[in-house]
Amino acid sequence: MSILSVGFLLFALGLCLAYFLVPKRFQWWVLLAFSLAFYALGGLLSLPWLLLTACTVWAAARWIQRSAEAEKAFLAARRESLSKEERAARKARGKRARRRVLTLCVLLNIGVLCAFKYVHFLLAQADAVARLFGGEVHDSIRWLAPLGISFYTFQTIGYLCDVYWGKAKAEENPLKVLLFTSFFPQITQGPISAWGGLSAELFAPHSPSYENFSLGVQRLIWGFFKKMVVANLLAVYVQRTFADYGGYLGVAAFLGALCYAGQIYADFSGYMDIMCGLCQILGIRLTENFERPYFSKSVAEYWRRWHISLGAWFKNYVYYPLAMARWNQKLGKLARQRLGKTFGNYLPATVALVLVWLTTGLWHGASWGYIVWGGLNGLFIIFSMWMERPYTRWKKALRIREDAWLWRAFQVGRTFLLITFIKVLPEVGGLRDGLGLWKRILTEHSLPRSLGELLPFVDKYRDLAAVLFGVGLMLAVSLLQRRGSVRALLGRKLPYALRVLLYVALFFCILYFGVPAAVGQGGFLYAEF
Amino acid sequence: MDELLEILNDINPDVDYETEDRLIDGKVYDSFSIITLISAISDAFDIELGPEHLIPENFNSAAAMWNMIQSILEDE
Repeated sequence: MSILSVGFLLFALGLCLAYFLVPKRFQWWVLLAFSLAFYALGGLLSLPWLLLTACTVWAAARWIQRSAEAEKAFLAARRESLSKEERAARKARGKRARRRVLTLCVLLNIGVLCAFKYVHFLLAQADAVARLFGGEVHDSIRWLAPLGISFYTFQTIGYLCDVYWGKAKAEENPLKVLLFTSFFPQITQGPISAWGGLSAELFAPHSPSYENFSLGVQRLIWGFFKKMVVANLLAVYVQRTFADYGGYLGVAAFLGALCYAGQIYADFSGYMDIMCGLCQILGIRLTENFERPYFSKSVAEYWRRWHISLGAWFKNYVYYPLAMARWNQKLGKLARQRLGKTFGNYLPATVALVLVWLTTGLWHGASWGYIVWGGLNGLFIIFSMWMERPYTRWKKALRIREDAWLWRAFQVGRTFLLITFIKVLPEVGGLRDGLGLWKRILTEHSLPRSLGELLPFVDKYRDLAAVLFGVGLMLAVSLLQRRGSVRALLGRKLPYALRVLLYVALFFCILYFGVPAAVGQGGFLYAEF
Repeated sequence: MDELLEILNDINPDVDYETEDRLIDGKVYDSFSIITLISAISDAFDIELGPEHLIPENFNSAAAMWNMIQSILEDE
C-alpha cells in the first residue's frame, strides 16, 4: 500500500478508531491485525517469509532462555557439591549449546535475506568469472524480495542476540514476537528497534489524548510536506542530472548532486515523520532515526545522526562482537607486542570497522557501487580515528579553538560535501556512472552563461520556487531544533489560530505542489534497501 | 583498583575517575575507547569480556568496572 494515497489515510483512520475503541488489553491485537493486513496488501506471497522469521526467532529465543534458566537452577541447587572446574565445564557446555542455536537461527534468517537480496548480484559475478573461461551463468531466477526483509531480519536478530546475552527476556507469546517483527510503521524503512524499547511501547495500554493527537497530526503534515513537496520535486531534478550529467557543466552536475542529498534526506526523514506522527496519535513512541545529520562535524558523527537505528544496530550486533571476539583481541595483543601499543590498541576496532562498513554497503544494495560506498564511509571513519592524536596536536599548534564558529562551520561544510560525494556514487547507475559524475564535477570548470546552463534540470520555475521554499523551511526547522522540539516551541510562542493557519498553509502547499509530483515519484528511496 | 585506574588514565587522563559516574551515558567514552578499554582490562586481569558485559551500568564508573571485574573473577 502506498503511504502517499487516500487508501493509506483511510487505513490509518481505521487503525486509530479501532485502537481506541477496543478494551486496552486488546490494543496490541489491533496493531497486529493492521500490521498483517498492511503486509498482505503489499504482497501476500511475502507473508510466509515474515512468519518464518517470527516463528524461528521466537522459538530460538525461548529455547535459549529456558536453557540459561535451567543451567542457573542446576548450578544454584548444587552450589556446594560441584567443584569450580565442574561448574565451569557445565557453564561452557550450556553456552556452546545456546551459541549453536543462536548461530543456526541467525544463519537461517540471514540466508533467506541473502538468497532474496544477493542472488542476482552473485550470479552476475559468477557469470563475469565464467565468461573469462568461455562459459556463462544464466540468471533465470525471478523471485522478489519480501517487503521490508532487510529491516525485520535485522530487528529480530537483534532481539535474539539480546536474549542470548541476557539483556532481554524471551517473549513467551509468539504473536507478540510476530507484532514486533511486522509492526507496519517501521517494516518498510525502519527504524530498526530494540526489543526493550519497542515492546514496552507496543504492549502498554494507551488512552487517546488531545496533545498526542495534535502533535501527531502536526508531524504527519510536516512529513507529507517533506516527502511530497521537497523530495518528490527534487527527485525529478536528480533523475535528469543522473541521466544527462555528461552534457552538464561541472557546476550544474554539482548542484544536481546537492539535490540528491536534499532529496534523500527529505524522503527518508519525511517518511519517519509520517510514521512517528501516526504512532504519536496512538500514544506509541517510535525510535527517532534522525538528528539533523547534515550538521555533523565528521563522517562518524554523521552516522550517529543519520539512520540512527541502523548505526546502533551495526554497533551493537556487528562492531562490538567482532571487536571483542577472541581472535580479534589476540590479534590486537600480538600487534601490541610486535608493533607497539598504539597499533595494537587500534587494530581490533579497525578490523571490526572494515567488516562493519563493507556489510553496511551490502545491506544498502547488492552492487559494487554500494560496496565502494560502504568502504569509503569506513575509510574516512578509520582514517579520522587513527589521526585523532596528530589532529589534536596540529590544532593545538595552529591555535584552533574547537568551539570557534568558523571552525565548526568548516567542519560541517567539509563533512556535508564528503557525504554528498559518497552518497551519489552508487545512485547514478553503476559504479562507472558514479565515478563519471565525480569526474564531471571535478574536471569541468566552465562558467554558466545563463540560468538554463546553471540549472539545466529545471523546467518550471514555479516548482523550483517550491523546492527552495521547502529546503529553506527544513533548514530553518533544523536550526530551531537545536533548542528543542519545534512543535513545542510553536505551541509556546504562537497563538492557537496562527498555528492552525500555519499547518493549513502547509497542507495546501502539499495539495498544490506535492500531489502532482507524487505521480510516478511516490515510492520511498529507503524502501528499496 | 589502582591497576584499573592506571588503564583508565592511560585512555583518557582528563577524567576524574573518583567522581565520574556517566562515562558511557555521558558519552565520555566512545565505541572506540570502549574497545581499547576492554582489550586493556582483559589483558591486565586475564578475563574474557563479551558483548553480554557491554551494558552502561558496567562501564559508567571506575567502581562499576571494578565490581564487574571482581564478579567475573569470582565466577571463573
